[in-house]
Amino acid sequence: MEHASGFVLPNSGHNRDAEASKMGMWLFLFTELLLFGGLFIVYMVYRMINHEAFLLSSFELDVTMGTINTVVLLVSSMTIAMSITAIQKGNIKLSVNLLYATLAAAIIFMVIKYFEWSSKIHHGLFPGMDYYESLPKGEGLFFYLYFFMTGLHALHIIIGAVIIGVVIYRTKKGLVTSEKYTLTENAGLYWHLVDLIWIYLFPLFYLIH
Amino acid sequence: MENKNLHNTENHKEHHISSYKDHFSTLLALLLLTVVTVVVSVFGADLRSLSVATALLIATVKVVVVAYYFMHLKYDMKLYTWLVVLVAVLFVAFTALTSIEYFNR
Amino acid sequence: MATLSTDLNYLQGKKGLFSWIFSVDHKRIGLLYLYALITFFLVGVTLGILMRLELLNPGKDLLEAQTYNQIFTLHGVIMIFLFIIPSIPAVFGNFFLPIMLGTDDVSFPRLNLLSWWIYIIGAIMALSTLIFGDGPADTGWTFYAPYSVKTGTNVTMSVLAAFVLGFSSILTGLNFIVTIHRLRTPGMTFLKMPLFAWALYATSWIQLLATPIIGITLMMIVAERFFGVGLFDPSIGGDPILYQHLFWIYSHPAVYIMALPAFGIISELLPTFARRTIFGYKAIAFSSLAIAFVGYFIWGHHMFTSGMSGTGRFIFSILTFLVAIPTAIKVFNWVATLYKGSIHVHTPLLYALAFIFQFMIGGFTGLLLGALATDIHLHDTYFVVGHFHYVMFGGTGFAFFGALHYWFPKIWGKMYNAKVANTAFTLLFIGFNTLYFPMLIAGLMGMPRRYYDYLPEFHLPNMISTFGSWILAVGLILMLGNLIYAYFKSKDKPGRNPWGGITLEWQTQSPPPVQNFDRMPELPKNGPYDFEHKPTIKE
Repeated sequence: MEHASGFVLPNSGHNRDAEASKMGMWLFLFTELLLFGGLFIVYMVYRMINHEAFLLSSFELDVTMGTINTVVLLVSSMTIAMSITAIQKGNIKLSVNLLYATLAAAIIFMVIKYFEWSSKIHHGLFPGMDYYESLPKGEGLFFYLYFFMTGLHALHIIIGAVIIGVVIYRTKKGLVTSEKYTLTENAGLYWHLVDLIWIYLFPLFYLIH
Repeated sequence: MENKNLHNTENHKEHHISSYKDHFSTLLALLLLTVVTVVVSVFGADLRSLSVATALLIATVKVVVVAYYFMHLKYDMKLYTWLVVLVAVLFVAFTALTSIEYFNR
Repeated sequence: MATLSTDLNYLQGKKGLFSWIFSVDHKRIGLLYLYALITFFLVGVTLGILMRLELLNPGKDLLEAQTYNQIFTLHGVIMIFLFIIPSIPAVFGNFFLPIMLGTDDVSFPRLNLLSWWIYIIGAIMALSTLIFGDGPADTGWTFYAPYSVKTGTNVTMSVLAAFVLGFSSILTGLNFIVTIHRLRTPGMTFLKMPLFAWALYATSWIQLLATPIIGITLMMIVAERFFGVGLFDPSIGGDPILYQHLFWIYSHPAVYIMALPAFGIISELLPTFARRTIFGYKAIAFSSLAIAFVGYFIWGHHMFTSGMSGTGRFIFSILTFLVAIPTAIKVFNWVATLYKGSIHVHTPLLYALAFIFQFMIGGFTGLLLGALATDIHLHDTYFVVGHFHYVMFGGTGFAFFGALHYWFPKIWGKMYNAKVANTAFTLLFIGFNTLYFPMLIAGLMGMPRRYYDYLPEFHLPNMISTFGSWILAVGLILMLGNLIYAYFKSKDKPGRNPWGGITLEWQTQSPPPVQNFDRMPELPKNGPYDFEHKPTIKE
């Protein structure tokens, strides 16, 4: 910013600084990681205390659906990474289309999740339901954590989808260009984080029998 | 108005643009690892404790691949990599201390 | 961007409430925090004095047992989440970090404003439990399960408030880290930063990496209350001690969120008033990081009597003693800074010296609590209450007041009456020690904490303690009155550099112009406290 007395401070918090935005995003991702980290610690301890119950309960989950969702998220991670490449190369249209593809993946993920959850709820496994109350010691905790952790993850998918929507809108308006694509980059970082967390959730709930 | 942090050593020189092909190869690697982990878990159920360790190990490899290539850690300043390592160390220390406590109950 | 006249300082220019509560200027945001913090602090003090009145004599005098439980919980929640955690970073960090780095604002000015708004929303939520629902929580500020899940009081709202306030804390930390990485003035390397900036840097990392854990833990409490199904309920395989683990994984590092910025303040005050370079700059800078790092791994010492495993207790006790090392390094360096300095005794220095004295008592009593054998006797007694008030109030609180007196002329461009300020300091010092030292003794005698009543043999220390609270209250009123009077009436203009400091904030006008500097700030040759090659500061 310029001063009347005619000198310019070399650094200013009001200038656009792409590196600062990216750093801020990374720092924010760290807080997200530790947010889930707390839940992973709970999972670890309860798995330790209720070993057999956790093993039995995990057979209730559908490995096929979990695997499909993993693949969907991995593909979406690639499409958004490619979208950044596209915008860097100045290919706006391709960038937007790849973002649409990512958005579609998010929706597919949520639809599959919906079917999974509703079948579990149908069986009365949601915390507080009658069947849930009758579960043997430890099994209830597994499903409690399953709903809590995948629920929080699903919330992040929704937030990520909204962010991607914003990026699409702004890219179409010409506010994101091959010179100025921090927004796309940061949206990408966020989306990859959602993917990262799922990479751990998937084996911990579906696979470890 | 571009940033004028001329002195700042933390500015990297140029942006690396990853190719579409690289991204696709990364995806293939991740899918392969997913197949491995599902197979180990579903068919290796009798090697129970081994499959826990394997599954977590494979997940960690996948996470590193995503962070390194998709999240661009490979091409960003080293600071980010160090910070990610710091966070990982911190989390591992939390789990280690907690599990030592519970193991010895 | 528009050219603004440097004739206007940040207090002039736009006027009116909205120009403040929607300002993105870090200086105005710092003051917004200050006014809010002082208000909540006074509410907290009032609750504390009420508790002391109840404890003046054994038996029920003033408060019902249940009311007392709610008051000490609210006192804790207000003092910790609303006052002491944000205190120094949010007020003085916001105001002075960019100036000390030689820049015009933090990296994300709008995010900074958002942090303040989130803070205010959290504060309103916390205080709303006074009016709405079934009264404020009665669990203690730790919200331990399973009681926090079972009690009929309004725990949910208090817990949500703590969650929201945590968010504000995270965003402030994030902002500071990026600011320190990106906006240092040319020539200011990391090792030429003022030590206050180092302290804030370490603090910010704790805010960033520890707060999310409590966020999610508190959400689990909310979910339990909402679904009516326990996650920490032993009858279904859960473990209430796990809640304590998660709670303290955040809340122990949070102690360093409170203490580290205070260390930073002391490291600024001592060189200025001793007119010499700080002894052991690097040692102080790196010990901040060391404290922040080690501080993550010692949470278990809050739970020695909770039923943890022996191995766990042993490890946590050893790690606890480790954190004393970097803390002691700091104290030695501060004392060495005074040695052969040309000491100018002004009010801020008095606060700094009181800090060192009281923080030492807080630190040493902390070691007694960190040792397994003594902790079994002292746990949950008034010894603990005395200990952490020595650290938080005698330490951070006094550093906060010291900083307020140090930077008052810079912030408002006016000087307060030094004689009154010194009298107020003396009252605060005497009052503080009269209030809290007897608690240590009562604790050693075995008086348990968190009760509205006590056995007659504890009468004497409690009586002395309550007298102390009155002296302290008078001191507080005098101190604040003096500053408020100076703000409205003082004709005494201090100029740029009333104390002879050489960090960058003393090179600009008092109060600073909107863009912080009216001429290019000049760095001392060898680091921030190089009094031998200090830049000449013309009015």
